[in-house]
Amino acid sequence: MANFNLKDRVIECKIVYYGPGRGGKTTNLQYIHKAFKKQTTGEMVSINTKGDRTLFFDFLPLGLGKIKGCEIKVQLYTVPGQVRYSSTRKMVLKGVDGVVFVADSLSVRRKENMLSLKDLQQNLAEQKKSIFKIPLVLQYNKRDLAKESIPLLSVKLMERELNRKLKIPSFPASALKGTGVGATLQECLKLTLQHLQRELKWAG
Amino acid sequence: MKSLVKEAELYRTQGLLEESKERYLEVLQLIEKNQRFQNNKKAINVIKDRIVGLEKDLAEIDQETEAPELSGKVQDLIKNLFSFSQNKDAAEMEGAVALARFGQYERALAEFNRLLDKGTLPLIAAKNVLRCHLALSSTDAAIDQFRKWLSGELLSKKQLRDIRSFLEYVLKRKGIQTKLPEVVGGTSQRPKEAGSEGGFLDVCSVTIRLESGPCKGSTKELDVTFQSGNVISLIISAKDKDLVDSFVPGIRLRGVHFFSSICVFRANGIVSEWTSIKTGPRRGDYVLSITIDRSDKLDIL
Repeated sequence: MANFNLKDRVIECKIVYYGPGRGGKTTNLQYIHKAFKKQTTGEMVSINTKGDRTLFFDFLPLGLGKIKGCEIKVQLYTVPGQVRYSSTRKMVLKGVDGVVFVADSLSVRRKENMLSLKDLQQNLAEQKKSIFKIPLVLQYNKRDLAKESIPLLSVKLMERELNRKLKIPSFPASALKGTGVGATLQECLKLTLQHLQRELKWAG
Repeated sequence: MKSLVKEAELYRTQGLLEESKERYLEVLQLIEKNQRFQNNKKAINVIKDRIVGLEKDLAEIDQETEAPELSGKVQDLIKNLFSFSQNKDAAEMEGAVALARFGQYERALAEFNRLLDKGTLPLIAAKNVLRCHLALSSTDAAIDQFRKWLSGELLSKKQLRDIRSFLEYVLKRKGIQTKLPEVVGGTSQRPKEAGSEGGFLDVCSVTIRLESGPCKGSTKELDVTFQSGNVISLIISAKDKDLVDSFVPGIRLRGVHFFSSICVFRANGIVSEWTSIKTGPRRGDYVLSITIDRSDKLDIL
């Protein structure tokens, strides 16, 4: 749950990038760090293995300035995507306010996308949060690989398999090139702040 | 075949090593079936080399799951980011537990000792100090620490009795026969609720009947080396590879017997994580985390 400092009128919220391993969660944060320099309020911290896989988490703090009289601070996290880091994912997800689910568009990662979304649902449920109620945005990453003639899942198919029940905003993207990264984050922030406004009854 | 090789290469650069290997194996099969390519030894060798390289990378990744010693700055960040409670004491304890959960035992030990000195949740802090010593394979240090507490005034007689009972059980399960000094004075009643500060019973060991994997059908007794709430961690020797392979993350363990210092209870658990230890005396061994299912009724035996 977001931290609302009533005295100083500061709201701190937590957005987590979730999804299967090697899907581009860290690349999303790296792009944000590079492209939104004005908004970043600290260094990006990554704890990786030698193979450049996220071991614990990535962390990037942002400052959005004042909205309705409140200073908004955002903490962006990624989780380790590999199946075996389940307890780390649960730990990083604790106290989450909004989620970006980064799905891999490669056809060979079809099953992993679905398993990871199910894992997210279960881990949110353990925190007594519903995947249908939490601010959540889908990103279909690696769309740029279509040009390389690599088998990709169509956006239509991904919508049907991942978003049929959720019915949430979704964005085709290429985190490597930056396409769709800003739009995904903006939408997630919008939904999260609207949700917090209702929850914290915060008004200007 | 060209497009298969292209796919395989792309998956390799994306870090999707299993997928890349599968594609290269398909390429190899195609070459071996096709008479036109059968004599192209050079191409066959290149593909075989790629597969060997991928297998090597995959094996390295399997060994890369240890918790590295992080810088003080990152440890501070973990401590701050993973303390959620509004209550300052509880938040500090959460930060220290997070350090231990991320494998930063030395720093966690220093934090738990600091909290204990401050009198913050002393029972939880003291037990976690002992857990950290045991996770660092310092059984003697854990016993020495208990002796020091006995001669000091940091902990009440009641707390010392609880800690003694906890340590005695852990050592017994480890097969260590040491007579711990008695706690003299105060009430001799046993604590009613061990671990009540933490909201979950302290688990010293478990008995698990395996329903799948190479050890299917067998029952294993394992010692708990670390606990945070309902998540327990166990160390398994690298020599017992069959046992390691039996604990696939995500599998549900039914009817596990959990031995605490005050009772035995039965509940279900989920294998939540495993990592290999890369440094120290337990190098090469594995740490398994099991989450005790809180939604199940704990069946006190």
